[in-house]
Parts: sequence; C-alpha cells; structure tokens
Amino acid sequence: MKDFQLEHQTRGSIQLVRLNGSLDMYSFPRLEAQLNTFFQQGRYTVLLDCQALDYIGSAGLGALIGFAKLAREQGGDLKLMNVPERIFKIIELLGFTKVLQVHKDEAAAVASFGKS
Amino acid sequence: MDNSRLVTVKRSTDAVAVHTPGDVSYLGHIRELVCDLAHKVGFPSEDIAKIEMAVDEACTNIVEHAYAPDANWRWQQQRPEIRIVVRIARDQLIVELNDHGQHFDFAAYRPANVQDRAQDMQTGGYGIAIMREFMDEVVYTSSDAEGNTLRLVKYLKKT
Repeated sequence: MKDFQLEHQTRGSIQLVRLNGSLDMYSFPRLEAQLNTFFQQGRYTVLLDCQALDYIGSAGLGALIGFAKLAREQGGDLKLMNVPERIFKIIELLGFTKVLQVHKDEAAAVASFGKS
Repeated sequence: MDNSRLVTVKRSTDAVAVHTPGDVSYLGHIRELVCDLAHKVGFPSEDIAKIEMAVDEACTNIVEHAYAPDANWRWQQQRPEIRIVVRIARDQLIVELNDHGQHFDFAAYRPANVQDRAQDMQTGGYGIAIMREFMDEVVYTSSDAEGNTLRLVKYLKKT
C-alpha cells in the first residue's frame, strides 16, 4: 500500500496538483492544507491530476467541494482530470460529477478554464 | 514494543477476523483486506469499489465519532479498537465492524441522499448515506456488553 503524496506545479494561472495514492480521512488533511494555502495566496484556479489516485473517500470529496465552492465565489474553480474509470464510476453514481467538472486530459481541462 | 499497535489476523474457513487500533492510519489496511476478500467472492470491480467505500466510511465514522475525544466510550479502560469480521460466502460478503465507543442512534438518522447533498455542495455528512446507497444491508446494533456493531452485507448479483 503506497503512501498518499501530492505534487504541486504552477502552469500559468493554474495550480496543477498531482495526487498519488489513497485520499481518505488519514491523508486528506494534506490536500486540505494545500488547498487552504492556495486560497490564502489568492490562487483560485486549481486542476487536480487524478491519474495515480487509488481511492477517494467522502472526506476527500468534501474537501474538493468546499474549495470549489469558495473558489467559484472568487471567479475560480477546482476541476479534475485523468480520473481512473473505477473512481469516476463511483463519484458519478454519488452525484459528484454534477458539481465538480471532470476532464479527460490536461488539454481539455486547461481549455475549459479559458472558457469559464 | 507497543503491542496495542499490532494488527492481529485470525483466519477460519469462511471468515477473517482482524483487530486494528481505532486510528485513521489503519483505514488503508482495512480497505485492502476487504477488497481482497470481495475479489475472492467474485464481485465485479464496480461492486468491490462500492464495498471499499462503504467500509471505509463506516470505519472513519467509528474513529471520528464513536471514539471522538469528547465521546462517552463504553469501556473507558480500553484503547480505541475496531474489531472486524469479514465473512465470505458463495454469494455474499458480510462485514461486521465492532467498537466500544459512543452509541449512535443509527436507525433514527436519515440524512438526505448522497446525490442531494452533493448537489447542495455539502462538505461532509456523507458516510451513512453512502453505506446505505452502496450496500444491500446496513444494520447497527448496540449493547453495553457487546459494544456497537455495524453489519454491512453485499450480495453477489447473478448475471
């Protein structure tokens, strides 16, 4: 079982965060801390690369929704890309894909920020 | 060495019993065990993902709520612990989670469904709704002698 890791890069106005491992109640404070830092820095445009994400629980999903809500009030957003099929099916069933944008790849995700 | 941190595994023919500390750092180990056994029963990957999430939410609730620092534990002298029994049968998986933390009025708790909560962009309170959404049976019992036991059942659908 691998430890949860996140890696952050700035791509123009977009904060790209690569998630690796499982995002559960144990690991989600690390993502929440990163998102809080973005918010304090006034960085409201965040893209999460979920390609290496193994699992996400409701604590992690709640953190994403919380940030997306605040970011939208500031003209930004939080979006997901490269979500593994297994995880996508689950979050789709639970209705999270209706409130969080999910894109196939980085090009589509970056283009969508330009449109919003 | 602090033996209370050890995960002990006891196997029988149709069940696996595991005692873990009631600590979120063990959630990944619990998910891994349950997913392995669900795979052994023959569940499709989508159902395994549902079982994984339901069990994770249940164990998270035990740690966060039953064993909350301000909660009244049933057996104050013991360390927080989750006793897990996974029973595997030809057409179902039964996961029983036992704790000695604070009792919860599970039957009376009827939160809005997950989809409605998500639509309202709620940041928490999904756990029980997810268990009820993803499992075929969710039964909670509680007594001073036995503590709290949550029984989660998933049936293997015939194709």
